[in-house]
Amino acid sequence: METLQFAFRKILYAIPLLFGVTLISFLLMVYFGPDLTYSLIGKNPTAEQIAEVRTQLGYDQPFFIRYGMFLKEMVTFDFGNSLSTGERVSSILLRTVPVSFAVALPGFVLSELLALALALIAANHRGGFVDKGIMVFAVVGMSISFLIVVIVFQIAFCSIYGLNLFPVQGWVVSNVADYFHYVAVPTMVIVFVGLGYNTRFFRAVIVEELNRDYVRTARAYGVSRFRILSAHILKNAMIPISTRVIISLPFVVIAGNLVIERYFNIPGVGLITYNAITTGDLPIVKAVVTSTAILYVIALVFTDIVYRMIDPRVALNS
Amino acid sequence: MEPEPQPSERREESSLAEGGVTGPVPVDILTADASHYRSESLWTKSIRKFARDPMGIAALVIVSVFFAIACGVWAGWIGQNWSSLQADGYTGMSREHWFGTNINGQDIYARTIQGTKTAFEVGLIVAVLSTVIGGILGAVAGYFDRTIVDEVIMWLYGCLDAIPFYLFVAAVAFALRDQPYAMHVAMIATFWSSTCRIVRGEVIKIKSLEYVQAAKALGVGSMTIIFRHVIPNTFHILLVQGTIAFVSAIKSEVILTYLGLGVKHGVSWGTMLSESTFEVSAGIFNNFIAASSFLFLLVIAFNLFADALQDALDPKKVTAS
Amino acid sequence: MSDANPSAGEVGADRSGTDPVLRVEDLVVEFSTEKGRIRAVDGISFSVMPGEPVGIVGESGCGKTVTALSVLKLIPSPPGRIARGRVILDGRDVVPLGEREMRRLRGNVASMIFQEPMTALNPVFTIGSQMTEVLRIHRRMSRREAREHSIEMLHTVNIESPAKRFTQYPHELSGGMRQRVMIAMALSCDPKLLLADEPSTALDVTVQAQVMEEIRRLQEERRMSMILITHDLGVIAETCRRVIVMYCGKIVEVSDTRGLFAHPRHPYTSGLLASIPKVREKKIGRLPTIKGMVPDLADLPKGCRFADRCPKATAQCREKEPELVEVSPGQQVACFYPD
Ligand SMILES: Nc1ncnc2c1ncn2[C@@H]1O[C@H](COP(=O)(O)OP(=O)(O)OP(=O)(O)O)[C@@H](O)[C@H]1O
Ligand code: SF4
Ligand SMILES: [Mg+2]
Repeated sequence: METLQFAFRKILYAIPLLFGVTLISFLLMVYFGPDLTYSLIGKNPTAEQIAEVRTQLGYDQPFFIRYGMFLKEMVTFDFGNSLSTGERVSSILLRTVPVSFAVALPGFVLSELLALALALIAANHRGGFVDKGIMVFAVVGMSISFLIVVIVFQIAFCSIYGLNLFPVQGWVVSNVADYFHYVAVPTMVIVFVGLGYNTRFFRAVIVEELNRDYVRTARAYGVSRFRILSAHILKNAMIPISTRVIISLPFVVIAGNLVIERYFNIPGVGLITYNAITTGDLPIVKAVVTSTAILYVIALVFTDIVYRMIDPRVALNS
Repeated sequence: MEPEPQPSERREESSLAEGGVTGPVPVDILTADASHYRSESLWTKSIRKFARDPMGIAALVIVSVFFAIACGVWAGWIGQNWSSLQADGYTGMSREHWFGTNINGQDIYARTIQGTKTAFEVGLIVAVLSTVIGGILGAVAGYFDRTIVDEVIMWLYGCLDAIPFYLFVAAVAFALRDQPYAMHVAMIATFWSSTCRIVRGEVIKIKSLEYVQAAKALGVGSMTIIFRHVIPNTFHILLVQGTIAFVSAIKSEVILTYLGLGVKHGVSWGTMLSESTFEVSAGIFNNFIAASSFLFLLVIAFNLFADALQDALDPKKVTAS
Repeated sequence: MSDANPSAGEVGADRSGTDPVLRVEDLVVEFSTEKGRIRAVDGISFSVMPGEPVGIVGESGCGKTVTALSVLKLIPSPPGRIARGRVILDGRDVVPLGEREMRRLRGNVASMIFQEPMTALNPVFTIGSQMTEVLRIHRRMSRREAREHSIEMLHTVNIESPAKRFTQYPHELSGGMRQRVMIAMALSCDPKLLLADEPSTALDVTVQAQVMEEIRRLQEERRMSMILITHDLGVIAETCRRVIVMYCGKIVEVSDTRGLFAHPRHPYTSGLLASIPKVREKKIGRLPTIKGMVPDLADLPKGCRFADRCPKATAQCREKEPELVEVSPGQQVACFYPD
């Protein structure tokens, strides 16, 4: 009950944010965006046809009406049809989101877990050889461009110049074995790309916690190093860490991973977004951008709730 | 609109406090708290500390070399014949073409050098503008902490943070329709927020300091206080944030260009790497190796430089020698 | 152990024949800092007898906390380390012991209470889980036994409705209450030695006295040895049988409490005592400053460390360092010209 109230209040706080992200999307892509009139009608249109399409698109309406129409699209999940294929945008999303999710999730989870493990090890040996080694690895990892990682991993695992173990591209998945076959290299790429940043972030959080007084107290009462790290510190560190993880989820789900999906030619949201960007397929880009942003705001609300569950200090009435 | 400490604020603070802390430092020993704001001597101390960091110095040297290359291109001394078709496509490495030629027979060495200039152009424009905007808005928000001004600024960066970066660039590209600066505008519009957030947090601390209170009591105007007394004391943050923005900008350029949202006219490491994606499967690596090694070197040097800078500028850090 | 020393409560009792609970011999603790290696504690020796409350006083930074931390080998390392000496706790030198063995002693043979009750407890665990953890480590109690014992301990330190407090988080308790929780936790395994590092300094003035009273009562009841670190000489007078005065990492005077107040022998001690009334008036629990500056540990003067501030300093004082020597029964001083 208390949590419900808390959640409700957080949702109220999120409304200005929702208003903001939709407004920005609307301004950039619709209000100041491209004029779609001629993409929608055939050759040699009559003046009436043009007027009709413009009315249909709402171009003759004042700002607020158009913004309202935009909001209605978002709320009803009805973004119109793709300009290039004519397919309903909502059904395109329903088809591609699960693919993106399947491609990105294993890498995402592994990357976070591996980074957390590395960060704990580094923090535990801080100042020492192991710590320095891990941190150098992290900086190197951070300094390699995503694109370079994709190229190198594809050469190394999918080409005749390397191990040639996995498919070069595509996504033909009908059973679990296929899935592992196709998801392996994208997963390795995602893990590698995220590892450096995550390890550094997690290590910073853990080291900050290590310096707190309660750690000295625990030590002074005979608590083992392992338990201090795995219980006392980890629970405190989970507050910033879980926030970060939850917040990055929507980017994984909806925005997909443009680079990976394009490079491996995987038919997820990333690829259709890429195609939409290059062909100027506004309805799709609009739908993807706005729904990701909305999901982000929802994730924010969600982190606040998780935050409260972990941290007893976050009082209800604050 | 968030009354309690925002989780994301914590994130920035911890990443700033990150680095080579060598051991737990009981709070009762940190007597430096009273002199929290940065005085002249803190800067000389930081410079001395930086000078003693071999990694930082090495990184600075590498960055300087790259910068010199970029200046050479601006001055018109090197890398000028990057677009002329000089030879057959895909000639290997030779005395005339150190890194070989690309598909069109353009000199890859000259293109790499030219790409250095593009990287600095993107990096500097984005770093400077995003830090200036973030610094000013952060200082204003922090100074007018918990007023409507603060709320509006926080709301603005909250909204911008919600939109995934690449998609935001796409959205901006739609609005600006093939403007060559769409990429820069989008980066600046997203990168200022982290600087703003950190500066805001710092300014909330600074403004309770005696000298700011004294200036207030003397009736000095808010804007004067912000620009004369507050912002100068956040320069150390701006410097670090600037280097971070620079790195993000040149890394993003590569991705955005690959996605067709970045550099369209001219040459950059991004355009070279995009070209190379069609070549590596055929076993031609010249473009790839040239662009990726330059990019990697500059980025890692900048990352190490940023780390060393952060270490040197952090007054709280107690280093064991 | 309580029956080993039936006369523990009496001041000046004959202690020959019993072994001290703690004997520190020639302890040196070094820290590597930006300014180079400093000795936060420089060759100190003292002992604490069973059931004896001993006070340590001295200005900020003189090495009191470092001394106490050394007993449990809790010196943050790096940058610190015990460079020399022996710390014999309950008959065993702890300096060469490893983490595993030290863990068995911490919170068990000797417990420590810290200055900051606000931050010393883990904010995301309940009082109960933090207290029972200690009992489960050292006493191998079941959850249930540990819970019962902890609630009883909370009761012992006069916390009202202990069963409710047991389930609460640190932030739900006041500072004084949290310090009581720390005391309960410290005593839960019946340690032989309690190290109390300024246990009341961070509290409200009204609560300070209550908490000190609690510590005093429990120390007497349990006939426990105690090292009480404080800035407040008044608290020492009420609580301790002996006093160790530290200055700049060295012990400058050791004396039984009565002797110290009646007849301080070291000029530094005299300076401290002279300013007591002022402390009381202003209610600033901090030691009043004696004229002059404490020398920098990284740049110590030759000879006596107090010379720059000492009214009696001579050329000899600036040449040689005075040793700690017995000047009267139960009173040791490190000064060439003791009062
Ligand atoms: N972690 C550390 N790093 C570096 N130096 C330290 C550290 N801990 C202690 N020191 C040094 O040891 C000296 C003694 O510190 P200590 O904490 O024992 O003082 P104290 O007598 O307890 O003072 P206070 O009354 O302020 O608590 C300090 O002056 C400091 O120079
Ligand atoms: S030795 Fe000399 S300087 Fe030191 S306290 Fe005694 S009289 Fe003062
Ligand atoms: Mg202390």
